[in-house]
Amino acid sequence: MTFSRGVESSSQAVGQPGAAPSGGVTTVVVRRGRRRFEVLPYALVAPVMIFIIALALVPAVFTIVESFFTVNPLDPPTRFSGLANFVHIAHDKAVISSIGNTAFYMVVGVLLSTAMALAIAVVLQRPFRGRSLVIAVLILPWALPGVVEGILWTGIFDPNAGLINSLLTTLHLGGTGVLLGQSRLLTITLIELVQVWQITPLSVLLILATLQLIPDELYEAAEIDGCSPWRSFLAITFPLARPGIAVCMVQAVIATINIFDQPYILNGAADTGASLTMQTYFISFQNLDFGQGYALSLLITAVTLVISLGVVRAIYRKVEL
Amino acid sequence: MWGNGERSVKRGWRAASAALMAGLLVAAAGCSGGGQPSGGSTEVSGATITVALGAPPPAAALKDFTAQTGIKVKWVNLDWDSLQTKISAAATAKTYFADATDVDWSRVGQLGKLGWFYPMDSYLDTKSMAADMPQLASFTTGGHVVGIPYDASFMVTTVNTKLLKQAGVSGTPKTIDEYTADLQKVKSSGTVKYPLNIPFSAAEGLSTYWYETTGAFGGTVLDKQQKPAFTSPDSAGYKAAQWMVNALKTGLVPPGNINVADSQGQQTLMAKGQVASTFSDYSGNVGTLYNIKSSSSVVGDTQYIPTPGANGPAGNLSNPDGIGIPKQAKYPKAAAEFIKWFTSAQKQADFTGLNGTDKVYSGFTIPSRLSVVQQMTAKGNLDGGEELQAMLKTAQPVFPGGAPSWYPKFSNSVYTNLHAAATGSITVDAAMKAIADTANQAASGS
Repeated sequence: MTFSRGVESSSQAVGQPGAAPSGGVTTVVVRRGRRRFEVLPYALVAPVMIFIIALALVPAVFTIVESFFTVNPLDPPTRFSGLANFVHIAHDKAVISSIGNTAFYMVVGVLLSTAMALAIAVVLQRPFRGRSLVIAVLILPWALPGVVEGILWTGIFDPNAGLINSLLTTLHLGGTGVLLGQSRLLTITLIELVQVWQITPLSVLLILATLQLIPDELYEAAEIDGCSPWRSFLAITFPLARPGIAVCMVQAVIATINIFDQPYILNGAADTGASLTMQTYFISFQNLDFGQGYALSLLITAVTLVISLGVVRAIYRKVEL
Repeated sequence: MWGNGERSVKRGWRAASAALMAGLLVAAAGCSGGGQPSGGSTEVSGATITVALGAPPPAAALKDFTAQTGIKVKWVNLDWDSLQTKISAAATAKTYFADATDVDWSRVGQLGKLGWFYPMDSYLDTKSMAADMPQLASFTTGGHVVGIPYDASFMVTTVNTKLLKQAGVSGTPKTIDEYTADLQKVKSSGTVKYPLNIPFSAAEGLSTYWYETTGAFGGTVLDKQQKPAFTSPDSAGYKAAQWMVNALKTGLVPPGNINVADSQGQQTLMAKGQVASTFSDYSGNVGTLYNIKSSSSVVGDTQYIPTPGANGPAGNLSNPDGIGIPKQAKYPKAAAEFIKWFTSAQKQADFTGLNGTDKVYSGFTIPSRLSVVQQMTAKGNLDGGEELQAMLKTAQPVFPGGAPSWYPKFSNSVYTNLHAAATGSITVDAAMKAIADTANQAASGS
């Protein structure tokens, strides 16, 4: 008899302690109520837990508490100020302007990146020559740092020497060209397209991983039953991919609500493209008003959490294959 | 006797203990760095200091420093934005970040009020340095020097003489009106479609462009009491903003410049011969950008001119970078030794290539010491050296009363509102009012 993880294995028949083995079948008996408390699993996860507590939970609690205080080295001392930080940011014109931009980034970014990711994942679902290479190339935009991408796209959007405007000029489609900053809608659309280009690869991988779990037999049966590819997609692929789609949408929600690099590098601090996280940066590190920065961070976190839960509730379905 | 299971449990305990200890150690390492009391060590020889700035000087130079002083230097290369964020975060959290780091002219008021940096006059004879470092005044707040300038940066007007000649422009414009007329002549001649570069992207470069233009119109943005001096249409600041926006609307500035940052405009417009002039350019750009074949198509065609002013040549405004010692430094005395060495005339001469190309510090444009600028000019090592030398002698701080402690907030308001005026979403008048409101609110602490 050996002990392993609280499970006692024996050659006894189920329900008949001491009975002779029947037919040579080996079964496993789980004896409840006699499990020993094992330290090992807890100890093994302890380092990670310490990290999470130190780097996530403690700062989170700290942020919640400090958001109710005036924390500004230019205006000492740190003191309790109730809801003053929240009231102040609610009246901050730059913050209000950024709410609209950020909402646009989120709605367009989540829908577009998810739709594109689903389409690409379906294409990549079946093996074909060079699929691995395609996946490797596809992942590149996701692997690049946001700042590098911002600089890359700054060159592409450069109004005087950039690829897009040079092309428009060559084709005599110019006018004044495509100018970031000229109108809010154009600016936030172009910025979000850059972010979608960055976040879609991860969404593709998440959905593709889910699609790989769908048994081929389901598609074969559908084909025998005369289902068209579109019908197969609606009846098999989409419903079974919902867990993956939900995860990819949540990561897209988090990425788009927290967008910073792309608008900051492509459009500077202009209100035509500024996001809420940019305002958090300006309030905290330019104005040194950390109390208001904490308050705005807290609100962004709360909104992210609520929207993510909404997405999970609407999209996620438990799938048993 | 221990059975297999018992041995397994024992091994598990050992593994668990090891994992737990490793986690605690790593977490402790991650959380360390705080708690270093201000005051630091007086150790000099044998100390290892961290210097956080841009690109490092040649490794051989740092080795020489170590050989001379016994101080080892660990160089951390960070871009300007990241540096400012780290300085603020570390100082607010009272944690160690570096022994010597950047002090930008624009943060001097803020740093002075916060007391985040040691007064350099406690370590160096700043009074004797002042005569050779005209821009030291930009780092003085509350009677103390918080940083030593290592790079003389000031705003200058550059022109492409070849394009001006092609357009039939002769002579050097002395006033803003003459300058504007020359630009219009360049445009109407068809030499270039848009002759003037103004970076209207909502970034710091737009703010400094406005400060320099305001100076050219004969005023300052803030008065000595740090009150807005640009709300009246007759004020220099208002006229400067109106002139800049009009230049865009009348086709002197490329329409795309609403989203062009300062360095971007210099690299893609001025260095490529797409425009004939930049009114507020970087000092040193002729030698380090426009006359470099690999990055420019206007080699030998550009020069500095005295800044055209309201009634004649105007002065230039300083925006230098300095180096100082944060209060949380571990080895402030050793850091002071490094700063003394780094900003010495001998080392600046080395960095600019006066003593051989192997000692050149790439990215080091104009030394902060006038004596070294004079040496460079005499040896022909500085393009436009005579003009730059004259400008450096008289370059003034942007704010006569010193940079305000609320400068970052003010500058953000300047560039976002001027950008908005350029795009036409608000008027120049509304932009001036919004900027003034920000300044008044910030000054009152509300």
